[in-house]
Amino acid sequence: MTGKTAIIAANGGLFDAYKVYNIATAAAASDQEVAIFFTFEGLNLIHKEAYQQLPMPEGKEYFAEGFKKSNVPSIPELAAMAKEMGVTFIGCQMTMDVMGLEKDAFIDGIEVGGAVTFLEFAKDADVTLTF
Amino acid sequence: MITPNHVLDAKGLACPMPVVKTKKMMKDVEPGLVLEIQATDKGSTADLQAWAKSTGHEYLGTETEGGVLRHFLRKGGADAASETVVIPEISLEDFKEKVENGEHMTVLDVRELEEYQEGHIDGAIHIPLGEVEQRSGELKKDDLIYVICHSGRRSELAAQTMSKQGFKQLINVVPGMRDWTGKTVK
Repeated sequence: MTGKTAIIAANGGLFDAYKVYNIATAAAASDQEVAIFFTFEGLNLIHKEAYQQLPMPEGKEYFAEGFKKSNVPSIPELAAMAKEMGVTFIGCQMTMDVMGLEKDAFIDGIEVGGAVTFLEFAKDADVTLTF
Repeated sequence: MITPNHVLDAKGLACPMPVVKTKKMMKDVEPGLVLEIQATDKGSTADLQAWAKSTGHEYLGTETEGGVLRHFLRKGGADAASETVVIPEISLEDFKEKVENGEHMTVLDVRELEEYQEGHIDGAIHIPLGEVEQRSGELKKDDLIYVICHSGRRSELAAQTMSKQGFKQLINVVPGMRDWTGKTVK
């Protein structure tokens, strides 16, 4: 491991998901230790149903064709790849409570924790990003 | 052309897939060997250069062929941290003086065949880094051998390998053919 990358995913759109998962998989591929903290709408990015059909920003639906043409992997594919490469997924407990969601609504292999869980990881991270 | 030991087909894949696939494939490549990555993602050139730098591999170059980018990476030494010996070095200027004085010496050029063919020091023996371990028997273990490559990095690795095999007098020429201003033959 050559460094640590800490990411906060706080938004639930398709573009947000790509930003989060592309950076996370690229960092993991570069031997970085990576953790993503999913909070508020960011939880959509690991929600079993929601993450399969994340919305495009309004008025940007025409990007769908570009995604297809560029052979960009789907979000579930990217999430699986990130997991496989050892990226830690932390779902925000407080948001889950507020939204009335249980851990089994989310993809397998996630941790559930509070802000301190993430901060503990992020305190000596080399790169910290918020999306 | 550089001869790869492994080839990865990442054509048609978008960022970050070429890097992710390279990372996976590189696990199975032996240190010192070359992986060719074929990609169509135009960002892959910059990405793989940066990736190689941050993960300790050597970026050898990219060739473009009809829209396909062929990137060449050499896997970094796995046991570089353990058992490294200090290889004495000679500056290119001092080395050039010896060559031009016609000193009797053995020069080993460990670059790839194509690099060697583009121009090398007259009389240099050619064994690419990836073959040094198997072919070092072509040289004498007691001889004074000057090892040279493009920038001094591969020659260092080659000298490390040969030192472990019992070669006694190895000298790394730094930086290497990159800055060589003396005569070359093809």
